[in-house]
Amino acid sequence: MTAVHQFVPALLPRDATGDHTRALRDALRAAGWESDIYVEAAHDELQDEATYFEEYPSRARPGDVLLYQLGTSSPVAEFLLGRDEPLVLDYHNVTPESYYEGWEEHTAAKVALAREQVAALAPHAVLGIADSAFNARELEELGCRATAVVPILVDDEVVHGAVDPAERARLAADHGDATVLLFVGRISPNKSHQRLVEALWVYRRLYDPAARLHLVGPAVTPSYAEAVFAFADELGLSDAVRHAEGLTKAELAAWYEDGDVFVCLSEHEGFCIPLLEAMGAGTPIVALDAGAVGETLADAGILLPEARPATVAAAVDRIRRDDDLAAWLADAGRRRLEDFAAATTRQRFVDVLAGVVGREPVVA
Amino acid sequence: MPTPPAAPSSSPSSSSSATPSDPGADAGPGTPAGSGEAGSEVADRIRYLDEVMAEIDAEVRRRRASGDLPAGLERELDELFLEFSPVGLQGRARLRETLSLVDGSAYVDIAVPTASNKAVGSYIKRAVRKGLGWYMNFIVAQIVKFAWSVSRMFHVVVDHIEDLEAAVDAHRSPDLPAALQPSASDGASWWAPAAAEALAGVRERVVVADCGDASLVESLLAAGVDAYGVDPSDLALEPALDRGVDVRAEGVLDHLDVVADEMLGGIVLTGSVQWLRPNERERLLDLVSTRLAVDGTLVLHSASPGAWAASAPAVVRDLAPGHPLHPETWAHLLGGRGFAVASTIAGGEDRRLAHVGDADADADAGTVNAVIDAINDLLLGPTEYLVVATRER
Repeated sequence: MTAVHQFVPALLPRDATGDHTRALRDALRAAGWESDIYVEAAHDELQDEATYFEEYPSRARPGDVLLYQLGTSSPVAEFLLGRDEPLVLDYHNVTPESYYEGWEEHTAAKVALAREQVAALAPHAVLGIADSAFNARELEELGCRATAVVPILVDDEVVHGAVDPAERARLAADHGDATVLLFVGRISPNKSHQRLVEALWVYRRLYDPAARLHLVGPAVTPSYAEAVFAFADELGLSDAVRHAEGLTKAELAAWYEDGDVFVCLSEHEGFCIPLLEAMGAGTPIVALDAGAVGETLADAGILLPEARPATVAAAVDRIRRDDDLAAWLADAGRRRLEDFAAATTRQRFVDVLAGVVGREPVVA
Repeated sequence: MPTPPAAPSSSPSSSSSATPSDPGADAGPGTPAGSGEAGSEVADRIRYLDEVMAEIDAEVRRRRASGDLPAGLERELDELFLEFSPVGLQGRARLRETLSLVDGSAYVDIAVPTASNKAVGSYIKRAVRKGLGWYMNFIVAQIVKFAWSVSRMFHVVVDHIEDLEAAVDAHRSPDLPAALQPSASDGASWWAPAAAEALAGVRERVVVADCGDASLVESLLAAGVDAYGVDPSDLALEPALDRGVDVRAEGVLDHLDVVADEMLGGIVLTGSVQWLRPNERERLLDLVSTRLAVDGTLVLHSASPGAWAASAPAVVRDLAPGHPLHPETWAHLLGGRGFAVASTIAGGEDRRLAHVGDADADADAGTVNAVIDAINDLLLGPTEYLVVATRER
């Protein structure tokens, strides 16, 4: 039987790559292929679904295809470089190290290693699957001979899931009629949270003195997060900037629904799942046209050529003043989201991989 | 406010027919929403969003013109954030900050905490600490000695660097008086048509630095180029703002700093680019080579060094932090950043002396004319030039 086995550095629950890997495994099995997940580490909850990657050689069989979920550095990359099976990369992008330099040197070194591993693996892959054309271009520039764009499998429960009514009511009571700018994503220098704070400051000065900024996501770069919140404090915004992390899916859905405008000023994104989550919640989107944001958003939001706070504030105000525009953007978002329907994406993965199964490995 | 058109109708992604062996042809879902619908519907939506964006830009311009958004306010916000950022600490402050981190981590405490939720746990921890104390003391003493040596070395290096900085500061030139700074670009000048020709067909946005009254911006707009301008002088921009031209009150370095990578299809540099300090010039080149898209066009206008030396006021020549470069120097600097110079065009005021007499009939006239040619070449050649370059990588 044909087998497409996935390798991933870490298999985690409530994690985009982890959810994607498990959903893809189910899709491949549903297509009649064998598919297991090999990992460097797995969360306790998922131990039964994963096998340590160094155990693969004893289970290898002729005709296996190995698919690597690539988004960080890992010994798994070195392991796969030494294998003879056809290799497929599923590339989720690696943030350039320059974003971390000065903030967190060990993270800069880690992502630099990851990019070295991408460069080493790309020429060996029979196929590079990328979340976005932006990511595909990176793979091609690194020598990947064939690429296909297939979006990440998005968790329907987050995009279309139930909203926690208590959380929703609590948020509404907390800020009343004030405008809420929302961003969801880990607090990391490439996400430019400081520009969100700047935009809030200008928006409050020009349009709504009571406006709030809601930030949801883990502070994965503590020194940067401290700087962002100290900056907000210095601007007198400590009560206007609210941070949350570790939310349940229903609570997260409540935060999305509570936001008046989803504002994304990230400078580097390989896909940007939160845009899809905002679309699912019907929250109008204002985003900086950087990385893959433009192609993920398409014309379902206001795409800014620059992240100047005055421009961001004016865009938010434009939406707040025009109910027709807000409704049009929300509708455009929901319809855009249908392009990323899980069923379509699952079938697309199967179609793309069907063209690889049985191929000889690439000798770079 | 524009009326919104019908929202996009969803369609299966156009990518579904692409195959893995068809690299680059697969646009994936990264196409306009509802990519299978009629082109006119897509065009209507894009036009609507463009109109909304134009209103947003107009609102920003209106706020700037009204004084609600003082020039430099956004830059001040950026600078304020840098005060909280380790990457923003400059020079001595950054060195001293880093040094304090080294000092703070040089001491290793061997008195490990022994508290525990369980009584027996605390007892075991204390026993381990006591039992291993002699061993840890020996190891840690060496680690601390090494760490302090490293710290001491860094202090010596930082002291030395500060001495060097003080020596460099002693040679720092004062700022050029604003009133004496060279004038901004003139859209009616000799090089405007050449700039428009070089930028013809560029579809992405084009920024004109030191745009002044924005006449060059308007020339480019008339030629179908999506141009806008920046200039640090509010006063210079007033006529352009009154005419509704998209201009922003900021310097080119500040502006490019906040533009996303590869967002611009063209950059026109003139004015202050001629007298930037070497470090500012390096920063400008770094920004230009990242903000400009691959295949984007750079148009650089400058006075020629000889003409500048001959005609600039004495105070400007003496106090200008930098001076105009030769076009060959720009070609060299740009080449190192992935640019290929497409053309260099000489122009400006023609100050060359005319020949005298008939050289064929009068040997003296021929001698004089040879001298005139030499003077023309040395001192009175073209006063300005234009470099057109393309970003290749």
